Amino acid sequence: MAAYVIRRLWQMIPTLAGVILLIFFLFNWVGGDPAQVLAGKISNPEQIANIRKQLGVDQPYWYQLWVFVQQVFTFDFGRSWSTNEEVSKILLTRVGPTLTIMVPVLVIETMLAVAFAIMVAYVRGSLTDRTIMVICTTAMSISFLVYIIFAQWLFGFKLGWFPVQGWSESFSRNLLTYAPLPVMLAIFVGLAPQLRLYRSFFLEEINQDYVRTARAKGLPEKKVMMKHVLRNALIPILTNIGIYLPGLFVGSFLLEVFFSIPGLGREIVTAVNRSDFPVIKAVTVYLAMLTMFINLLVDVLYKLVDPRVSFK
Amino acid sequence: MSAVLPKHIPVVREASPGLWALAWRRLRGDRVGMVSLAVVVAFLAMMLASYAGILAKDWNKERGVSYANPAFLAGAENLEAKEVTHKDFGTQAKPVDLSDIDPLAPRYKEWEERAAKIAVTEVKRAETLPFGGDKWGRDVLEKAIKGSEVSIFVGLTAALFATIIGTVLGALAGYWGGRVNDFLEWFYNIFTSIPYILLILAFAAVFKKGLDTIIVILALTGWTGIYRLVRAEYIKHCGREYVKAAQAIGASHFSRMFVHILPNASHVILVQLSQHVVGFIKAEVILSFLGLGVPVDMVSWGTMLAEAQNELVIGKWWQLVAAGASMAFLVTAFSMLTDSLRDALDPKLK
Amino acid sequence: MTTSEHLLQVQDLRVSFRVDKHNTFEAVKGISFDVPKNRTIALVGESGSGKSVSAMAILGLLPENARIPAASRALYGGEDLLKATPQRLQAIRGKDISVIFQEPMTSLNPVFPVGEQIGETLRLHMGLTARQAASRAVDLLAEVGIPNPALRVRSFPHELSGGQQQRVMIAMAIACEPKLLIADEPTTALDVTIQKQILELIAGLQEKHHMSVLFITHDLGVVGEIANHVVVMQNGVVQEQATVHAIFESPQHPYTKALLECRPRLDRRPKRLPVIDDFLKGTGAPRMEEQPRGVKEGDAVILEVKGLGKTFFLKEGLFGKRAVPAVKDVSFKLAKGKTLGLVGESGSGKTTVGLTLMRLHDATSGEVLFEGKNLLALSDREMMAYRRRIQIIFQNPYASLNPRFTIGNILTEPMKIHGIGANAEERVEMAFQLLKRVGLPEASYYKYPHEFSGGQRQRIAIARCLTMKPDVLICDESVSALDVSVQAQVLNLLQDLQEEFRLSYIFISHDLAVVKYISDQVMVMNQGEIVEIANSDEIYLDPKQEYTRKLLSSIPKGWDAARAA
Repeated sequence: MAAYVIRRLWQMIPTLAGVILLIFFLFNWVGGDPAQVLAGKISNPEQIANIRKQLGVDQPYWYQLWVFVQQVFTFDFGRSWSTNEEVSKILLTRVGPTLTIMVPVLVIETMLAVAFAIMVAYVRGSLTDRTIMVICTTAMSISFLVYIIFAQWLFGFKLGWFPVQGWSESFSRNLLTYAPLPVMLAIFVGLAPQLRLYRSFFLEEINQDYVRTARAKGLPEKKVMMKHVLRNALIPILTNIGIYLPGLFVGSFLLEVFFSIPGLGREIVTAVNRSDFPVIKAVTVYLAMLTMFINLLVDVLYKLVDPRVSFK
Repeated sequence: MSAVLPKHIPVVREASPGLWALAWRRLRGDRVGMVSLAVVVAFLAMMLASYAGILAKDWNKERGVSYANPAFLAGAENLEAKEVTHKDFGTQAKPVDLSDIDPLAPRYKEWEERAAKIAVTEVKRAETLPFGGDKWGRDVLEKAIKGSEVSIFVGLTAALFATIIGTVLGALAGYWGGRVNDFLEWFYNIFTSIPYILLILAFAAVFKKGLDTIIVILALTGWTGIYRLVRAEYIKHCGREYVKAAQAIGASHFSRMFVHILPNASHVILVQLSQHVVGFIKAEVILSFLGLGVPVDMVSWGTMLAEAQNELVIGKWWQLVAAGASMAFLVTAFSMLTDSLRDALDPKLK
Repeated sequence: MTTSEHLLQVQDLRVSFRVDKHNTFEAVKGISFDVPKNRTIALVGESGSGKSVSAMAILGLLPENARIPAASRALYGGEDLLKATPQRLQAIRGKDISVIFQEPMTSLNPVFPVGEQIGETLRLHMGLTARQAASRAVDLLAEVGIPNPALRVRSFPHELSGGQQQRVMIAMAIACEPKLLIADEPTTALDVTIQKQILELIAGLQEKHHMSVLFITHDLGVVGEIANHVVVMQNGVVQEQATVHAIFESPQHPYTKALLECRPRLDRRPKRLPVIDDFLKGTGAPRMEEQPRGVKEGDAVILEVKGLGKTFFLKEGLFGKRAVPAVKDVSFKLAKGKTLGLVGESGSGKTTVGLTLMRLHDATSGEVLFEGKNLLALSDREMMAYRRRIQIIFQNPYASLNPRFTIGNILTEPMKIHGIGANAEERVEMAFQLLKRVGLPEASYYKYPHEFSGGQRQRIAIARCLTMKPDVLICDESVSALDVSVQAQVLNLLQDLQEEFRLSYIFISHDLAVVKYISDQVMVMNQGEIVEIANSDEIYLDPKQEYTRKLLSSIPKGWDAARAA
């Protein structure tokens, strides 16, 4: 176990190096000279000169890379090019609102999707099953934008059930007043694809030989589903959640944009629009690191659901 | 292979269906699949017609009054049409304050100026348009058709490029294993350790805006899923006896990779291609909405939705419906076709 | 047995499967048989005979697209199981009638400990508490002969060997003292030595618990050892049913006769095996003279293997690699025009030897001398010239032909690669001739592999090898996946071709009877090493090594042994 974790951590080094190289390539090579990027955005020439010096744009590429690596490991990406706020501070303050939205989304959506999927898989092939699948396919085909625009207009503007947008300093007020509409929207939109996916996991398991054995034992069909099939289907479901988890921090950036939630997602979109490279670089590198750790965590958790996994 | 028949052998060539023919036969028996295929083909024909200038050529002409009513709502009041000449809607009609992040904000003025310029030469504006008009009195239906051209083109080409990248890399990694595999897995890990949306936005941040850019971005970030599946497919097939038999008869690496294995992985690739078209059409809409997609002088479903956001508040729902519905219609058909393709191509079913 | 009451009566059972909207496929076409109390009845047939489907139908365990007409009945104590409610069936399954399946690995739930899986049945049907069920599970594991049962109840299926997994399945099946045990090919996936143990276990339990056993198998050899009564099925109909004595001593139906005669025997070696057509035409088995087999001193040697070794490496620990030797220091000679049989259980390394010596795997050590040239030392380019001279026929006829190629493509490809035939026309001509030679119609040239049966595909694979005019042919379990009647035809073809083209065979198989029949020399392998090499008659009559004796004694002797006892 310990050897496994150490080996995995060791294997992260080349990947992290690759991520750093990719981001460096994008922003220092493709992205080019900040003076050109920022022309027209920052009028203060002194500030531009500062940034150029800080990045070492005049220096050779290996030196610029070295600067970048130092930034990564000292958690110091300087200040935002557009707001002059410290990048580290931006990141820390934006994570809270994003998680306030996304954690409830993840928990509720997963539970609903698993519950619905097992129900649909139980009546597989029936008219109910086929109808739900068609509804899912159609629901998935409508753009997220249309849902947001319509729901914001209907529930916020027309009916006035929820605030159209906004955010406050108080966590409970955020969770109870501002979060419900975006959370419900995200769940509504995320449910259809998850339901389809989890249904396919259940159907895959239902066709396995051990299910036939369970039936041959005389177990009632419901017990077969809830014990034998569910327990095995949890393995691919966990994998899927593991893939989904890092996205939690980017959040649903569209929701954040529409509902003026000061989260990471909106911050990134703003930064992209303003070519605020330090913010994007910092977010990308740290989220990549986080993703790698989450993947490791998920793989270790695997042992809990799948006894066949061995840490060799 | 061109089979040359020696003349003296009296063998009649019997019609013998290959796996592709059988798959097509299965697909033809699938009513949902065939209807979906018809819808998709119709959309593609519309896209080509629009590209060739047969359809929606004059989408940019302002032929109606501002926010002209749809023909079936001819009697409804249209206050905005009367007021538009002396009121600035760009700021007033926006209850949602997005000005600091709304990428279109700086353009509103520019558009209005242009609109004003053209308005001078306009002779007579229609009171109603078939499916209503936008703020400048352009026909929403024509916009939706023209918009489909951009959205579908982006979705198709980006998916094609992503599939080619994913297939080639996946085939190399799966076939050769060892160091080639290690290197490509490293590459794959880099791309997948950055959350997908963030990766797209990071690419979008450094590239100039444009139709070609968005295709490049989607292709460069979207190949990973296909790579993984194709790699798995190649690993599976490399262990199969028919590939070992090909090695035993001395078939070259190239022949084994592309003549023997590729056709047997092609059903997976085709389904992936189709799935990615759908995904990329959706992605293009969102990117264009954010102002990171198509340039401002072009129309796509995404830019239409960006306009629709503000129109809905003043009760002008037709642009939202036109863009949303045409996209939903195409994507539903494409998704159902993908499902049918998967069933029809599955060699297990035989 | 005449007076014994019937436990289960199957009457006019028909099962059809819905293939698609318009087509159904009738798998079982109106069969009737009885299962007497306290007896073992065997349902015998080749693939597609409907034997498993019939048994699963009794318990309502068929897939959802199966249909059974109302006229079919399966009477159990006067009750028709085919019309029982799901609740009633659930009460019977696992309690009165239980099942063991062919693949123990996939039939056990991978995520639960085996004790839990046995206990589940007890809690369900016997109303035991969790604690009682757990302790009973230990007793049951002990009863089916699993060592250290108190520890093993906590094991997961993947931690047990295939034989032990099947014992767990049996423990689960007998947990509630059922009246009928349905055993669906329970030993087919197991090695021959394990098969023998499992068969003895089932026979012992049948006697001890006074149950009836419905034993489904394709192997008549097994039937002779275990059954009291035999039902022979073919294509969904019963061809013959009788006592085991009558089936073996005076079979009535030509199909039964064919099944009995087609299989190679240890004590005889006719020049050709009788095939099913001989019996269906009513001519019966032609009288054949015996074929002498064996290698003498001074026979020309075509291939010599010296100290061949192959080690696989698994990643382990932080940076560690673990070496897993698959083949260790194997040396042998293959005489020209002769057959070397290679036998061993799964994991013995016999297949690896075949793949390594023709460089489909890279060898770790050793030499393969072909006409004095060491093949393992040649460059890829130099090897090309030798590739065509050593060819291989694989086990699985469904995987060994590229499904996207026509038979024509499959046959002409190797000729093109090796420049055989002056032009395309000549190659096509050769392909036609070879198709004819292996007994397929010329029109096959334009067809795809999926249009052929397993036996036909194996003929195509043979034809593909023959296009290159090889000297050595490696047959890697090439007839193992085939039904006995088809197996006999392919074995006859291989013998004919050997004579005609003076081919040398390396015949790899786990089936000792087949190896004994076709080989001049037999080489026994165990855990990557050679146990014994000798002429085939010698090794069967007078095995020198303990392991060889164990292998030989595990072969089902069928009726002969039962009669002798």
